[in-house]
Amino acid sequence: MTVLSDAKVRRADPALEARVAEPAPPPEPPALGLFGQLPATVRDLWAHRELVYQLTLRDVRIRYKQAIMGFGWAIFMPVLIIGSGLLVRFSMAQMSGRELISTVVAGMAIKALPWAFFAGAIGFATPSLVSNANLVTKIAFPREVLPVSATLAQTFDSTIGTLVLLILLPFLGVIPTVTALWAPVIAVLLFLFTIAVGLLLSCGNLFFRDVKYIVQVILTFGIFFTPVLYEPEHLGPRGTQLIMLNPLSPLLEGLRLSVVQGHNLLVPLTAVSKTGVVFTTWDPWYLVYSAACAVGGVFIAALVFHRLESLFAERV
Amino acid sequence: MTRIVVDRVWKKFRRGETHDSLRDLVEALARRMLGGRKPDPTELGKRDFWAVRDLSFEVEPGQALGIIGPNGSGKSTVLKLLTGILRPTAGRIHLSGRIGALIEVAAGFHADLTGRENVFLQGAIMGMRRAEIGRRFDEIVEFSGIAPFIDTPVKRYSSGMNARLGFSLAAHLDPDILIIDEVLAVGDFAFQQRAFAHIGEMARRNIPVVIVSHQLDRIASLCTTCILLKQGEVVRRGTPAECISQYVQEVSQTVASEDMAGLPVRITALNLATTAPVKSGEPFAFSIEGAVHDAAAAERLTVAIRVSAANTGQLVYAVGTGRMGITFTEEGPFRLAWRLDSNVPAGIYSIETMVYDSQQNRRLAAGPSAYMRVEDPIGFSGPVQLSAEARLSPIGTPVAR
Repeated sequence: MTVLSDAKVRRADPALEARVAEPAPPPEPPALGLFGQLPATVRDLWAHRELVYQLTLRDVRIRYKQAIMGFGWAIFMPVLIIGSGLLVRFSMAQMSGRELISTVVAGMAIKALPWAFFAGAIGFATPSLVSNANLVTKIAFPREVLPVSATLAQTFDSTIGTLVLLILLPFLGVIPTVTALWAPVIAVLLFLFTIAVGLLLSCGNLFFRDVKYIVQVILTFGIFFTPVLYEPEHLGPRGTQLIMLNPLSPLLEGLRLSVVQGHNLLVPLTAVSKTGVVFTTWDPWYLVYSAACAVGGVFIAALVFHRLESLFAERV
Repeated sequence: MTRIVVDRVWKKFRRGETHDSLRDLVEALARRMLGGRKPDPTELGKRDFWAVRDLSFEVEPGQALGIIGPNGSGKSTVLKLLTGILRPTAGRIHLSGRIGALIEVAAGFHADLTGRENVFLQGAIMGMRRAEIGRRFDEIVEFSGIAPFIDTPVKRYSSGMNARLGFSLAAHLDPDILIIDEVLAVGDFAFQQRAFAHIGEMARRNIPVVIVSHQLDRIASLCTTCILLKQGEVVRRGTPAECISQYVQEVSQTVASEDMAGLPVRITALNLATTAPVKSGEPFAFSIEGAVHDAAAAERLTVAIRVSAANTGQLVYAVGTGRMGITFTEEGPFRLAWRLDSNVPAGIYSIETMVYDSQQNRRLAAGPSAYMRVEDPIGFSGPVQLSAEARLSPIGTPVAR
């Protein structure tokens, strides 16, 4: 609710009734430009941090209440992804005659986690406005808290998964070096990108109900269009460039390179294709591209969400 | 200083299904890009209608505004506009401070969480801080009266327990502005009394209060001013008594008696001597007009009235001409003059009329109905009774009392 100063508000006295013919003032302007939306959104979220906390707590509790898996849920999806990845890589190894080494498994594990986070968070965030329709239509609060707390609930799960992975890494022959300090940077970018996508899709699903199903299908097959089970260089020169257009690819690859390979992400990497062509498999600009997608995405998502928010109660 | 100012507010809604597909969106975007004029928000489209038209009011601290009106008159829309859930199509709404909204008090409850967990969740949704809820937790639980079950998931609660817990939480908000929608009918009788007393206390805290309710006597006793809405428009504003009596009168006029056609005895009108409230114990006069179309068949028919408490629907009294020794022997229009001794507690009572077949023991048709408002300045005591007297006379003849 925009608060106007008293001077601006004309007193609604009984005489107003007589002046029906006089046109009503325009509704309060949506206010704020492109760059005003994000601070407003952040301010709203901060003012309602208790609500964000309580809703996150609710989502986490519900997931672990009356559940057979308990905290197994947190690593269920990553383990499945790694399992299927092993299958894929094993068949690749059979064809090429090269052996499957433990760092490959570690590389997959470290990419399976962020993918599971993204897929899980988007899966929960997309229907979050519609599944809380009773709140949206009946109680006033900034609606951003719903997709954001859905994402945070998934963050809780993924944190548990990360702890498990950290314990396992040395057994897979990986001792992280100083380059692993890229990991928190990438985690933040991934979180921002997920928030942006979650905000947009939750909004989209409110207006068009089939968005949820489209998202489900995309999440199911999206793993093949993201280098989770394989490395970009397996796709050759053209393929590497194409797959890196997916904003998630540089994040996942960056994570693997910096943690498992001990590679400084500021340095480009090359590989030689079967035909003898030397091509770039990693470029620092890839990461810049992902960062731009994440930060720009959050700006745009906040703008769109804020603009449409006042329609939610009517259209849900 | 918090106050509520609603300044010429209009709200448009759309009838029927809104076909939201990506195709519609593309179409709308294309039209906007091609420079087509932006649709005027104050213009009504084919399926649009005004849910609220040109509504203005102000509520100062210490005032309590009651909003009454039939279903679909826009009462709840007004509250949603006030809380900011909906945005007005035109006009301004100004209010500041923490809004305590006693609307759908258990909306945020999750079935799988315990009562305790839900209190904190719902509290956060309503804008309470965790520390604040923690401090008042015992008070909240005690007020709800479900302390032994507070650590049980709410899916095991009865609907009454659910609503009581939600109400107790909302009632312990410390709002700058209080908005209440139909939550006065929560729980059993004892709880309702407690809740009503509590709301009365909140309403007297020198904050602006807006109340929507169909329980007219609650409005009458809680509110300082009142508006009567009809199809989104204010048709009356004034004291609660003025608005309630106009509403009650309009309701009685709008109840049509269509299924009277073809009956040997038909009721055409119900006229109240006054719409002013009657004091408990004093007589209340009204008359039923009708016509006898077939005297032979009319003999076994009776014109009956049913008096029930408007809030609860509880039947208080029923009587008919048959039992009073009046038979319809002459054909032609008639007037039945009634006198009810209103030995009942204060409240609002509905008077329904009907044509009754006393041999088959069934109601043939419902006639018009009206409301009677009983006030009780001294405090009602003694046995509840409504004794009725009725006199039949052909129309045109003055009724001697």
